[in-house]
Amino acid sequence: MLQFDPVQLPDSSHALRDEIRQFLAANMPSGHRPNSDFLSGHNPQFSELLGTHGYICMNIPVEYGGGGRSFFDRYVVAEELLAAGAPVSAHWFSDRQFAPVLMQIGTEQQRKKYLPDMCAGKSYFSIGMSEPNSGSDLAAIRTSATKVDGGWRVNGTKLWTTYAHLNHYMIALVRTAPVSENRHHGMSQLLIDLHDDSVDIRPIKNMGGDEDFNEVVFNDTYVPDEDVIGEIGNGWNQCTAELGYERSGSERFLSTFRVYIEFLKLFTDPPNDLQAAAIGRIASNIMALRRMSLSVVGMLEAGKMPSIEAALVKELGNNFEKIMPEIARLAAPLDADKTEFNRTYRESILLSPSTTLRGGTREILRGVIARGLGLR
Amino acid sequence: MSSELQQIMVESTERIFSDTVDKKLLDAVESGEFPQQLWKLICENGFHLLATTDSGADLADAFAVLRVAGRYAVPIPLAEVLLGNRWLDGSDDNLISIGERSGDRTLTVPWAQQAARCLAVTPDNRVFEISDYQSTSGRNIAFEPRDTLSGNFTEIKTDDDAYELMALSRLSLASGALNRVLELTIQYVGEREQFGRPIAKFQAVQHNLAVAAAEVAAATRACDGAVEAIGEERFVLEVAAGKGRVGEAITVVTEIVHQLHGAMGFTHEHQLHHFTRRLWSWREEFGGESYWQSRLGHHLHSLGADSVWDFIASAK
Ligand SMILES: Cc1cc2nc3c(=O)[nH]c(=O)nc-3n(C[C@H](O)[C@H](O)[C@H](O)COP(=O)(O)OP(=O)(O)OC[C@H]3O[C@@H](n4cnc5c(N)ncnc54)[C@H](O)[C@@H]3O)c2cc1C
Repeated sequence: MLQFDPVQLPDSSHALRDEIRQFLAANMPSGHRPNSDFLSGHNPQFSELLGTHGYICMNIPVEYGGGGRSFFDRYVVAEELLAAGAPVSAHWFSDRQFAPVLMQIGTEQQRKKYLPDMCAGKSYFSIGMSEPNSGSDLAAIRTSATKVDGGWRVNGTKLWTTYAHLNHYMIALVRTAPVSENRHHGMSQLLIDLHDDSVDIRPIKNMGGDEDFNEVVFNDTYVPDEDVIGEIGNGWNQCTAELGYERSGSERFLSTFRVYIEFLKLFTDPPNDLQAAAIGRIASNIMALRRMSLSVVGMLEAGKMPSIEAALVKELGNNFEKIMPEIARLAAPLDADKTEFNRTYRESILLSPSTTLRGGTREILRGVIARGLGLR
Repeated sequence: MSSELQQIMVESTERIFSDTVDKKLLDAVESGEFPQQLWKLICENGFHLLATTDSGADLADAFAVLRVAGRYAVPIPLAEVLLGNRWLDGSDDNLISIGERSGDRTLTVPWAQQAARCLAVTPDNRVFEISDYQSTSGRNIAFEPRDTLSGNFTEIKTDDDAYELMALSRLSLASGALNRVLELTIQYVGEREQFGRPIAKFQAVQHNLAVAAAEVAAATRACDGAVEAIGEERFVLEVAAGKGRVGEAITVVTEIVHQLHGAMGFTHEHQLHHFTRRLWSWREEFGGESYWQSRLGHHLHSLGADSVWDFIASAK
């Protein structure tokens, strides 16, 4: 059975929380409209500033440029940034998963080469999993890497790669051996320089009019052996392990948090009981999700691989962040000035279809949870 | 009590309840019979005095036992006995019951006819003993005795957040029962075959159970949060959040577990309803979702929009 143990934030996190709040009060980029979605503000300048202050890769050892602190401290900073609606997209994937992955399975050479800039908020990574014919069915990827002298030649197309047009590197899942009886064999992770001339990147406009994700085409792209992540042939397991970092964080339930804040601001007069119940219902859901998310952080800190628990947090969190703006919309006072509320609501509803897709669809997550329950 | 001792206590409670509380007992109690044997066993083990101030246990330990009681649908007003003995400095084996005071009546008092003493609590955390009472018998959705009393009220002094502790008892019981119905359902879908295979193999069944499991996990953590906050300033608000969230989980989970049990789960012969009907009762007792959500909501509004995140993030 799945278990979410009680977890308490260490005392060190309280001072850290005050510190990051002061930092945000002084340094939020001017003119920035707060948005709690982790993919709604790619701002290298701000990421670098965070890096300078030691707020990126807090859980990476000091010798590689990190903060030498715990997963809990990283969590506190991340949730404060999201709640305040700060622009965190540029460094997000580096900070959340790729720096820990390099610590876990990277070579010493890779750690020395990549981590310092990641920790400084200067080096941004993208996730290269999905392809035109491989979405939920990740084992169907066709992008291939063929062994050549000293490295690999990569050919194929990645799709929906968020910020490939703005980031420096992609960690790509590729086939290094043809499909065999076990479809999960023969895949590997490569670190690919997105600025290489052999890589074509074409942004794709989403339904809200923004260009965040991309099509990325590799034309005989050369990747040296030094940039193989982990083991050749072990890509599937490595990707699965990564999901513990990827799916459990507060970005899986806070995407629409600013709608809640603007909703609360509508009540210049006290809410009636039913409106107050809507306010309380939303808070109680966030509080429970946050506790579950913290339980997963506790497992990460203990060196476990909580990919199933993480899937459960994401499943519950994504559904909540979709319905929360609707609870707010329907309980909003009729006669209030809704300019700011409508702005955040509009951003969130234009984003809403993506929350239960990106990072694994709702249906795939429910399958993962079912496996955790012993049903599959 | 340390968490290790609490674990040992939870395990021994678990053994006792799993040995004694079965479908037969639950049916007998439902037909009006008070479970004397079980009551004796509870007293012999000292569970009924676990929450008194000199018991050596923390209040949190008592609520850990209540979760186990919920897991087995233990048909005794254990929460009332625990907190009643605490507020009356009890030391003997008297059955104590507690209801909600509403004006000059006290509603939903479990087993008032059997109880030696009856208390009433109010939402502003006052506790009264009721004497010379007349009672009208009633039952909750689980057919558990829930009587209405009118009589004389004498206030009892306590520093406890009495009403909130009663609400917490319902959410602890519910958290235990939610985990149990999930387990029962996982077991059932693995055994029941249709179309030549266990229904657990159908994706729709798996997905529904995944949804239920997520709700159960949320309810468990919401309950943890309220228990951890006992004695703190934000206790009432954690109870509010917990009772609201657990109520939402009850709504979703009871629907799914019944659907997956098919017609068999709709029979009286099956044990599932002993849990689901209690869950529906506990959801409303000592404040339903809208009551607690609105209390939390009014408080958050009074804090102001810019302080709400701080409130959420300063949970321990
Ligand atoms: C905003 C956004 C950003 C993204 N960023 C990235 C990124 O940076 N890197 C990256 O690699 N990918 C990224 N993705 C891609 C994302 O991972 C995929 O969208 C996702 O895995 C689903 O794949 P798909 O879109 O091809 O849908 P499909 O897999 O075609 O699924 C379509 C529908 O069918 C359902 N379905 C599929 N298989 C099953 C099944 N076995 N059982 C039941 N239902 C099923 C799905 O749940 C879904 O509802 C991003 C997606 C979005 C929307």
